[in-house]
Amino acid sequence: MNCPIEDRHPEILVAYAAGELAAETTRALETHVAGCAACRPVAAGHIAVWKALDAWDAPPVSPDFDRRLYRRIDEDARLSWWERLVRPFRLMPLRQALPLTASAGLLLMAGLLLHNPGVVAPAAAEREAVRAQQVENTLDDLDLLRQFGAADSAENGHTGAL
Amino acid sequence: MNAQPYVPRGVTTDMGVAVAATLDYDAELMLRVKGGDGTSFGVLLEKHRASVIYFLYRLVQEQAVAEELAQEVFLRVYRSRSSYAPTAKFKTWLFRIATHLALNWIRDEKHQRSRERLDDMAWDLSARQVSDGRPSVEQQLLGSVTRDEIRQAVAALPEKQRAAVLMHKYEEMEYSQIAKVLGCSDSAVKSLLFRAYETLRARLAHMGTT
Repeated sequence: MNCPIEDRHPEILVAYAAGELAAETTRALETHVAGCAACRPVAAGHIAVWKALDAWDAPPVSPDFDRRLYRRIDEDARLSWWERLVRPFRLMPLRQALPLTASAGLLLMAGLLLHNPGVVAPAAAEREAVRAQQVENTLDDLDLLRQFGAADSAENGHTGAL
Repeated sequence: MNAQPYVPRGVTTDMGVAVAATLDYDAELMLRVKGGDGTSFGVLLEKHRASVIYFLYRLVQEQAVAEELAQEVFLRVYRSRSSYAPTAKFKTWLFRIATHLALNWIRDEKHQRSRERLDDMAWDLSARQVSDGRPSVEQQLLGSVTRDEIRQAVAALPEKQRAAVLMHKYEEMEYSQIAKVLGCSDSAVKSLLFRAYETLRARLAHMGTT
C-alpha cells in the first residue's frame, strides 16, 4: 500500500481510526503504518481521539421530557390563527427581529407612497410647468430675433442671397 | 417480478406510504402521523428522543438548552406533519431541523456562559446512580478532567465542523446524510471532518499516551 501521507490522502487514517475501511484495506494499511514513521503517530493520534470521544457520555434525558412536549403540542393546537401568524416573530431574537422590523417598515412606507401619489406629485408637476415655460420663452425669443432680422434686411435692401 | 409503479418523490397521495417504505420505516411512520395517527408520533419520539437530545447537548453543551431545543425540534416535526413529504431519510430531516436550531442558538449566544452548572450536577448524579461499584474520588476526578478537556476541544471547533463530527462519530451518519443536513457537498463534508479530526488530534492525542 502507498503511504497515505505521501499520496496526500491522510483522511484514510481518519477513516481507519473510525473503523470505516474494508477489512482488506485495514490489513494493508496496518502493515504500512507499522513500518512508516510518518503515518504511525498520525494513526495513533486519530485512534486516541476516537477513544477519547467515546468517553464523552451525555447526561440522561429528563424523565418529564415527553410530558412537557405533549403539553406544548396541546397548547400549540389551541392557538388562534393570529397567534399562529405572529408565532415565528415571538421566538425570534432581537438581533434578527430588528432588521426584519425595519425592512417591514420601509416596505410599508413604500407601499403608502405608491398608493398615495399626491405626496410626490406637486414637485413633479412644478418641474414640468417650469420646463414648459422655458420652451415657450425660447420660442418667443427666436421669433423676436427673426422679426429683427427681417426688418434689418428690408432697411438695407438685402435680398437675402449673399 | 413485482414491478412497482413509478411515483415521483414528494407525491403525498395514498401512494406516499409505498414511496416512504422504500426510503425508511421512520418516513412511513411520519406519513401515518400525517394521516392523524398520534401513536406513530410517539414511536418516532421514543426512537429518536435520546439521539436528538445527546446530539444537541454535545453541540450546545448545556443540558437544559439541549432539551429545550429538542422540544422545539419535535414540536416542529409535529407541526409540519400535514406538509410532510418523504423526499429524504427521516433522520436526515430530523437532524437538519436540530442542527439549524442549534446553530442559530450558538450564533445568538455570543457570550461564553459558564457551562458547568447544571450539566455537571446532572452528570454527577447519573454517575452515582448508575454505578454499583462506586468509582473512587481519584477516578471521578480523572474522568471529570478528561470530559472537560474533550468538551473544550469539541467546543473550540467551528460550528459546522462540530456538527459534522458529532453526526459522524455519535450518530454514525454517512457523508451523504451529513451533507444533506449541513446543505453542502459530500466532498465538503469529507474536508470538514478531516480538518476537525486533525484539530482534535492536536488537542487530544496525548490522552492516548496517558
